Amino acid sequence: MIGRIWAMAINTAREAIRNKLLYTLLFFALAMMVFGTVLSALSYVERERMVQDFAFASIRLFSVAIAVFVGVGLIHKEVERRTVYTILSKPLSRTEFLLGKYTGLVLIIWLQVAIMAFFFAGVSLLLGAPLGITHLAALALTGVELALIVALATLFSSFTTPLLASFFSCGIWLAGHLTRDLRDHGASSPSALVREGTTWMHRILPDLESFNLSIEAAHQLPVAASDIWFPALYGAGYVAVILVAAVMIFERRDFR
Amino acid sequence: MSDLAEIVRVDDLVKDVRPGFGLRKKRILEGISFRVREREIFGFIGPNGAGKTTTLKVLMGLIRPTSGKASILGHDVSEITFRRQIGFLPEQPYFYDYLTGREILRFYAKLSGVSQKSLERRVAELLELVGLSMSGDTRLRSYSKGMLQRIGVAQALVHDPRVVFLDEPMSGLDPVGRKEVRDIILRLRDEGKTIFMNTHILSDVEMVCDRVAIIVNGRIRYEGAIDEFLDAGEPEADLVFANLPAGTATQLEESFAARLRGHGDRIELRIAEKNSSEALRLALDAGADVISVTPHRVSLESIFLSAVNEADAEAGSR
Repeated sequence: MIGRIWAMAINTAREAIRNKLLYTLLFFALAMMVFGTVLSALSYVERERMVQDFAFASIRLFSVAIAVFVGVGLIHKEVERRTVYTILSKPLSRTEFLLGKYTGLVLIIWLQVAIMAFFFAGVSLLLGAPLGITHLAALALTGVELALIVALATLFSSFTTPLLASFFSCGIWLAGHLTRDLRDHGASSPSALVREGTTWMHRILPDLESFNLSIEAAHQLPVAASDIWFPALYGAGYVAVILVAAVMIFERRDFR
Repeated sequence: MSDLAEIVRVDDLVKDVRPGFGLRKKRILEGISFRVREREIFGFIGPNGAGKTTTLKVLMGLIRPTSGKASILGHDVSEITFRRQIGFLPEQPYFYDYLTGREILRFYAKLSGVSQKSLERRVAELLELVGLSMSGDTRLRSYSKGMLQRIGVAQALVHDPRVVFLDEPMSGLDPVGRKEVRDIILRLRDEGKTIFMNTHILSDVEMVCDRVAIIVNGRIRYEGAIDEFLDAGEPEADLVFANLPAGTATQLEESFAARLRGHGDRIELRIAEKNSSEALRLALDAGADVISVTPHRVSLESIFLSAVNEADAEAGSR
């Protein structure tokens, strides 16, 4: 089973590597970090923090863009081009196929984050900005968030078109970064309906702000171990639930 | 496990689909049943839209039947592990075009569980078999349609399956390509494999298939050995004469229920083979010249067309 999933994952990674969109977005991410460095030269205070804020934002934003725009075509393209016919005629279950595709894309996105992280570290060292374990933790949690976004894109890709899947994925990503604020604002509402509604939204939608340690990293603030392990476990659990849903949908599909 | 002589067993298979977003269902397969026996080349033939590809997709587990049963090698088609023993070439196959011929075969071999030890040897053998050894390291996006079809055949065979399913294996190929694919199919049968072939090219069926089933409008109209089809009915002969007097022609037509066709001064008669000697004697006595005498074989095409007409007539009367 692992061998077949791995064969699918390697092939998916190879396909992603040959996707021009990936390089374009990577180029823009690196260009944004350079731009942040140039912009920080205009500032008299906290230049290093500004550079690192910019860099973290670039890594998160462009990695999400890659996760969504490559992820939404992950399954749909296979069905549309009918490559799925020959693959599923082999002794490979639909679950293995889907997990292989997912794993391959996650690996590529993590590789991209690693490339951006190296660039980020280089820029920070050049400017004499501090680097510490919190930066590593922040990047690791970004990796978990991206794995979740890829899972969402895979889920939507398993039953709808890339365009709709992009809307859904981006929508949940946006909402996922706002649910915590919404819940906090909702809590002070006089309406019970609003209070309950915003609480449930926060429970159901992924709380993506829990993966955001960029402020702590840029400001060198202390981070408790639970601030890393809890979001990591939460993310892993969420990914598992989404992938189970994706598998259930994909297993029921007819390839007409 | 059921009788191994029956490699593919389909019983009362029904498939309904909902076209578009409508609520009305359309029946694509209307309770079809057939058997494919070990070591035979089985031709599944029918016009476009008859349900051939749908049946094959059910067998490959790509779509689920509404009702009925389908099994291969005694395993229900929804199972996974037995697929090590089957190979599949879809119609107009598409492969990852960023891979080379060798890479795509490696990929399918890994998915099929071919051991790492024998993988490279097997890939080289397959490239040789389909005549792509020289193009093995070229990316598939540079392959012609015929080359893609051949790499499709190679991926279907990469794990040395017992049963091979081919959907329109000769479509889109030039005469040389068709002959090459035909030769591969015959070679596979000689190696003891069972082949299920979807096609609407009847000449290919006549040349390679042992048994056929004709499907029209989602129903099996005929199933049996191809020789049974072709030998069905009373044998006939085509007699061609020159200078046949009109009176004799009329006499032949009336006496032997012959069918007459004229081409210039030549007259062609289709007649029951048992009456041909007497008809020849009559014509020669009347001073006619005999141009040719040819036994007439019922073609698969005529059987196929009568099946289609029968189905159309049924549909019209409903």
